Amino acid sequence: MKCIITIELGTNGIRVFAYDLSGRIIGSMKGHYPTFHTEPDHSEQDPEQIFITTLYVLKNILNEYIHPKKYEVASICFSASMHSVLAVDKNGNPLGYAITWADNRAKKEAQELRNSSLGKKLYEATGTPIHPMSPLVKIAWIRHNNKERFRLTSKFLSIKTYIIHQLTGEYIIDYSIASATGLMNIHTVNWEEDALQYAGITANQLAVPAPVFTAAGKLKKAYQQSLRLPAETKILIGSSDGCLATLGDGIIKGAEKASITIEDSGAVRVMGSTVLKDEQMRFFNYLLTDNCYVSGGPTNNGGNIFEWFTRQFGEFTNPFDMENSMQQLMEEVDNVPAGSDGLLFLPYLLGERAPIWNANARGAYFGLNIKHERRHFIRATIEGILYEIYSIGKTLGEQRSINSLSVNGSFGTIPFCSQLIADIFNKPVWVRQQFHSVSFGAWLLSATEMGIYKSLDDAAQPVELPNVFRPNKQHHAVYADYFGIFEKLSTKLFDEFEAIGNLQKKYAHSNKTLIYDNP
Amino acid sequence: MNQFVLQYGKSPELILFPHILELGMKKSGSIQPNTFPTTVTDGLRIYYITEGRFEWCINYQPHVFYPGDVALIMPGIPFGCDNDVLKIGSFTWIQLAVQKQDNGHIQPGKWSGLSETEATAIGKILLLNNLPALSRFNEVGKIIKCIHTELFGMEVAYQARVNHQIDELLIQITRKMTQQTHSIRDFPKTFTQLEVVLRQDLAHQWTVEEMAGLVGMGTTLFTEKVKSYSGFSPINYLINIRISEAIKLLKRADIKLTDIALDTGFYSSQHFSTTFKKLTGYRPSEFRKNHLRNI
Repeated sequence: MKCIITIELGTNGIRVFAYDLSGRIIGSMKGHYPTFHTEPDHSEQDPEQIFITTLYVLKNILNEYIHPKKYEVASICFSASMHSVLAVDKNGNPLGYAITWADNRAKKEAQELRNSSLGKKLYEATGTPIHPMSPLVKIAWIRHNNKERFRLTSKFLSIKTYIIHQLTGEYIIDYSIASATGLMNIHTVNWEEDALQYAGITANQLAVPAPVFTAAGKLKKAYQQSLRLPAETKILIGSSDGCLATLGDGIIKGAEKASITIEDSGAVRVMGSTVLKDEQMRFFNYLLTDNCYVSGGPTNNGGNIFEWFTRQFGEFTNPFDMENSMQQLMEEVDNVPAGSDGLLFLPYLLGERAPIWNANARGAYFGLNIKHERRHFIRATIEGILYEIYSIGKTLGEQRSINSLSVNGSFGTIPFCSQLIADIFNKPVWVRQQFHSVSFGAWLLSATEMGIYKSLDDAAQPVELPNVFRPNKQHHAVYADYFGIFEKLSTKLFDEFEAIGNLQKKYAHSNKTLIYDNP
Repeated sequence: MNQFVLQYGKSPELILFPHILELGMKKSGSIQPNTFPTTVTDGLRIYYITEGRFEWCINYQPHVFYPGDVALIMPGIPFGCDNDVLKIGSFTWIQLAVQKQDNGHIQPGKWSGLSETEATAIGKILLLNNLPALSRFNEVGKIIKCIHTELFGMEVAYQARVNHQIDELLIQITRKMTQQTHSIRDFPKTFTQLEVVLRQDLAHQWTVEEMAGLVGMGTTLFTEKVKSYSGFSPINYLINIRISEAIKLLKRADIKLTDIALDTGFYSSQHFSTTFKKLTGYRPSEFRKNHLRNI
């Protein structure tokens, strides 16, 4: 019996799934690795620990679910977070830690480039918004601020490229991750000369871009032995978490559907054979395969904002039980009318990316009156997070027709949130609870590579999410009214956001907290 | 209760207790200048406020104390108040002699009934958490009062009783400190803090009890939470960190394999080699050879 293994290199850790050829999950395991914030704007991970964790979890899942039942591993397919940068020397050894998507050190570089004509040109060519997350500006930052490291760097890799290099010895990067570096021309699928020049590097210093179905050479002998896998096990380079979540939700080119992910952070995505053009440079256009683009906008403020709220105001009857405390809070809001009796929440606690792209944005409760109670705050917080998702979806809707939505991610699939999304968008929402769209997308990709499906479209078409939430028209009318004010506030406070941000920096306590992602 | 100060070497009450350097109770009826200068001692000082409001500096950081609060001053840390002025109020205190280890850790002395591992854990937690102000902590007041009563009363077996109370004091303070440092609302934060501490001292033979104690949890809850959060048991997670650090060191030619083994917390190079090979498929020496080929 053959099986497929998917490995997801995520923000907080790794998730490994084993599927049979019908797409049924045989087993899954996870392993955490830490993020270090040695400076306020820095967000780094140890590539060696990611590698060891990958090996460890892979070995455990093989020994527990695969080898005892004599499954034959047909392929191992990778997915990963986008935008990471790891500098390695001529021996392929890391020069420091990997810089993650959440790292903000290149703020200044990003701001300057975004406001220049070169910035506009690069955005159109590469599809990656000009933002500190982009490897393009991160490499420029290293070039200007860390000259010794820049000089010693033989290659700038993504975390996934590094992990695959450890396993097989190949330096290879898939189109999806490459298209999120800000360095690849998504129209010609080559490294973009102007971008390379801006970053101060040559194409030789990057891995070789390849289609997502590419097998990255053979597993090294030592790993064949320690993992007990045959030499012919295919190591598929796979794609990015964003592209695979969209695929795994059954979205195909031309479908009038959008996919919404809300985990800690969130995104709204559509798939098409053309890119979205935007004068204001608000959308990303990433490549899944030739002429298949996953386009959309990311938000910093998703489930992590409701977790913040829960940490402050939840009961925590059991120590450290975040899930239960969140649930208790949500149970309190059923008696609050849609729209929270006019209490609005701007969720920008971590600054914001799409659609306002304002790192200085901050949170606010607005419209508070003497009749508002604690339960209104709870509901307003959830509504605010989802209004922000809607504001991305609304701008996407200006260019693509969207008739229905699929929702994934731990926060978005909470039934209360899924219903709210349906009401706010006024569109049906399809959901599958406890479903890992990213890993399932990787399975669809592997299955297509094996010939089980003719194409990714063929693979994704039959995907059905079983639960549907239909919009409540009355609630929608209420949300539409309040959203008008929400949308205005999100841009109206531009100057005050900047002023308060500056004061927060000026009076900041000196003791550094090394804890949270600050994208 | 009247004011008093007992000092080892001067007060006959302490003759059996060389580890109690000082025990006292102070009432300040008026604002008194030049009575509370900043001092540094080798002992561990514990102050418990019974009345009034005091602004004291511990390691040059100002803290405000109200009745029921405890100030904890580690050996070698400066303690006093701004302008040397003592405000109105009253407090009790005890200063304990503690053993200093080579690695800077402190540990209770031979008088303690704590086992070797528990004493090490407590010393480590006190030093690493380093929280000088503990609020609403009446137990400390009660224990100091009990020690005081025992010393003055000298009833049968008072020596054992006093020593028990000092152990109790250290245990209570350690637990309170970890609870105050780690919110029960945020496991990821707690885990990250723990991870930082583990990395700073990987050579140490960490036990699950120590790790759990460090973040103010019992081992059962700790093991369960670490497993569900990280996917690994605490010890296996630690092995992850150890091997990751070892890999980094193996990629530098200037460190001997035995040193790498010990620095990253393995008992021996044999133990290191076996664990490394099991996880990575390579012996450390092979791994090093593969990664240094171009130098």
